[in-house]
Amino acid sequence: MNFLTPLSFALTILLPVIIAMYLLKLRRSEQMVSSTYLWRRMVRDVEANAPWQRLRRNLLLLLQLLFLLAVILSLARPFTWAQGSGGEATILLVDVSASMAATDVPPSRLETAKNQARLIISNLPEETRATLIAAGESAQVLISTSTDRRLLLQAIEGLQALPVGSDLTGALELASAIAARQPDSEIVVLSDGRASLPERLALPGQVRYIPIGTSGENQAVTLLTLEGSASSENLTAFVQVSNFADAPVTRRLGLYADDQLIDAHDLEIPALGQASVISEIVPPETKIIEATLVEGDFLSLDDRAWAVNRGSNADNQQITLVSPGNRFLETALGLLPGVETTVLNMDGWKSGRLGDANLPTFQPSNLIIFDSAIPTGTLPSDSLFFVGPLASTELFSVTGTIETPIPKPAKEDDPLLAYADLSQITILDAAKIPLPEWARPVIVDETSGLPLLFSGEVAGQRIAVLAFDLRHSDLPLQPAFPILIANLTGTLLPGRVGDIPTQIKTGDTVTFTPLPEIESLKITSPDGTSTQLEIQGGRAVFGDTRQPGVYTVNWEAGPEQSRREGSLQFAVNLANPEESNIQPVENLSLFAEQADAENTPSQQARREWWRLLAWLALLLITAEWLVYNRATLAKLGNQVTQNLKRET
Amino acid sequence: MLFDESFLRKLERLSVMSRRAMAGQLQGERRSTKRGQSVEFADFRPYSPGDDFRRIDWNAYARLERFFLKLFVEEEDLTVHILVDASRSMDWGDPNKLEYALRAAGALGYIAMAGLDRVTVTVLGVTSQDSGKTDYFSPLRGKQSANALFSFLEAHLPIDPSPDHPVTQFPNRPAAQLQSYAARAQNPGPLILISDLFEHPSSQSPVTQLPIYQSLNALASKGFEVTLLHTLSSDELRPELSGDLKLIDSETGAEVEITADYDLLQRYRSGLSIWQNELRLFCGARGMHYVPFETSLPLEELLFAWLRQYSVLK
Repeated sequence: MNFLTPLSFALTILLPVIIAMYLLKLRRSEQMVSSTYLWRRMVRDVEANAPWQRLRRNLLLLLQLLFLLAVILSLARPFTWAQGSGGEATILLVDVSASMAATDVPPSRLETAKNQARLIISNLPEETRATLIAAGESAQVLISTSTDRRLLLQAIEGLQALPVGSDLTGALELASAIAARQPDSEIVVLSDGRASLPERLALPGQVRYIPIGTSGENQAVTLLTLEGSASSENLTAFVQVSNFADAPVTRRLGLYADDQLIDAHDLEIPALGQASVISEIVPPETKIIEATLVEGDFLSLDDRAWAVNRGSNADNQQITLVSPGNRFLETALGLLPGVETTVLNMDGWKSGRLGDANLPTFQPSNLIIFDSAIPTGTLPSDSLFFVGPLASTELFSVTGTIETPIPKPAKEDDPLLAYADLSQITILDAAKIPLPEWARPVIVDETSGLPLLFSGEVAGQRIAVLAFDLRHSDLPLQPAFPILIANLTGTLLPGRVGDIPTQIKTGDTVTFTPLPEIESLKITSPDGTSTQLEIQGGRAVFGDTRQPGVYTVNWEAGPEQSRREGSLQFAVNLANPEESNIQPVENLSLFAEQADAENTPSQQARREWWRLLAWLALLLITAEWLVYNRATLAKLGNQVTQNLKRET
Repeated sequence: MLFDESFLRKLERLSVMSRRAMAGQLQGERRSTKRGQSVEFADFRPYSPGDDFRRIDWNAYARLERFFLKLFVEEEDLTVHILVDASRSMDWGDPNKLEYALRAAGALGYIAMAGLDRVTVTVLGVTSQDSGKTDYFSPLRGKQSANALFSFLEAHLPIDPSPDHPVTQFPNRPAAQLQSYAARAQNPGPLILISDLFEHPSSQSPVTQLPIYQSLNALASKGFEVTLLHTLSSDELRPELSGDLKLIDSETGAEVEITADYDLLQRYRSGLSIWQNELRLFCGARGMHYVPFETSLPLEELLFAWLRQYSVLK
């Protein structure tokens, strides 16, 4: 036991002062009583002649002396040497990656690391500033150079293992940057060492690596895919399970299609090897497939994986092409993903339309393209695309022909013309159609100003009209043609979200380009929380993919009165062999030399005890007050018990 | 007036009890030790010359041919002695101990007078300097004397309720007065002493050697049937003091320094009960009644319940 301010012991001269005050306590108020007879009788044996005897058994005096002693001791600031960090600044670097969720050291590696961090914090000298960095997918400074221990402990309490890889390099760089500003600082790394580290990193100050974890016993589902099969109706799931342990293990793998168990396999996985399963009995209507390793290992985060099936036919957009035969258009439509095209000639269309029982009724389509054909009677209520109309309809009127029109974009940055170069196009002739009120021109004739391509909406029905016949133009031969068709179908088909990958890794950011008509995007995480995504500059970004599982994207498109909705799912899996490999690394090569170079004395830290003593002093002074007032308290107690008795 | 009419009428239902027959002075209603003329037969005695032959039992002579006198119990009056301690320590408390004691003395005296007994009252602890006051009420009997008794007692009522009168240098010694009373007394009978029994022990003598005990012994040996009404006020029974105090005796001005904390008050209370036990044992051993009571007790309750229970009155 040492003392920081031993001078405070000079205050011990107050002890005799208190005793002297007790001895000299002579000022008494006078009180008349009827007779002192009884007092004298009683006091005779109490009131001793020697003042020393009065001090005997005087609880108040004892308490006061003890209180003073406690105060003096706490003022002297006693301390003991304890194992801990020295130096003026300490930087705590806690790994919060997925592997830290392993439970080989109960309750978990992260909890163990947190306990270690708490111990280090509590052993820090009073004036040492501490910094807390959480190394997850990116390094994050939680507390920067603070001496507030409470804040630090709170931040440590709030640490959570995330199902992401660990960016120990970034964290170390951050730590070294902070250490460079503070002389005499120590960096403490609390990790299982499963992280990518740079070959060489100059770290100022001393570095201590505290390995967490004991066992590498872990298996993980590292790959899960779901694909349609050419040979059968059923889908095929492919699962790869990796063993990261040193010994071969047998694990049971369960496959669930939309939460129904459909297949189970007992896998024998060699040490540090892999085993694969191909399951061909996944029902074709399956939307989500989940692979689960039953019975736990030390890390449960990577025991499950999900895959979604978006490619099933039900989700495809239906396009009906009513045409006498147009290879260009059929080819261009065939190139579009997620689109199924039905080609009919005008007779087929009419019979289908009239509902003849002998002919097969075609599927309801999302878009009907009339190529050089005009339907009779009322127009269908689907989206319509007219190519080279020969006659007027109720939507527009054909007044004549334009000879060799020169096409020109009506507006420079029309999204329909994105990436489509119109400069090389030659057109023989086009129908002369005055621009209807509902439409906006996309391509116009340079000379007459009449529209060659226009689109718009009539009561929620999307309509586009290409005024010239494709066979009377070299447009189908241009690279712009498939792009234009893709743009047009994209606009005309009921809204689609755009391109979202079916499977990503945890921590990855999903960036996609929703179609322009989509107004609202909402992503629901596996735990049920929803996030409204903002579409900025035609792009939406979703980064909160920390939970493995299936995410659902809900979108809404179109104006208020004709709102269209839809949803789409994608899977997020850990699938990170580096994190699944939870075998702790005892020594990080990076710190090995430094650890050797450093010797131990600076590991000693002062541990102060004055807080404890101050608490003791507070307790003593409270006890003194209670003893002093015990007569009043006893009376109060009596009254209370009497009242209680009276009530009962 | 000390009492009202209805209270006095109630008091007439009571009478002072005497455990044994005692010789009186005049014809009364109490059995006396003497033989005399009443209807109650007591004894036979051989005739001796000079006896009144009207009292010879002729039936006995017819059978035995010898003269026998028939003796009857004499019924005489009884002198009830009431002693009130009026020392300064009695002039204390709320209700005032002295006032209470005087009222009790008046009530007891009236009871005795109404029962055709003679009553004598002595007020102890009053110095002769207190001019105009006599401390002795000579034996009188009959209800017609009650007024004289009451006015005698009223003269001793505390004049100034606040106890800031000067402390006397030479306090009276009720104990010594008791001793001399015992020596002078002629007609021992029931004796009721009303006092707080606070004394001023001069030496460290054992408890039973204290003057008051010796006086009580003397009274008992004289043949008095002593009843000790030990009067204490509530602040003497449960003192509410706190802090460091210098206690001043209202009688002698003696000082005692105490630190009135919880312990001390606890000890005071236990000391008080020890003292009362001592007195109870002492009195019990000598056939005295020891009646400790607090002045907050209504006088009526003391007379009609407590003293009857202790068989001082009936």
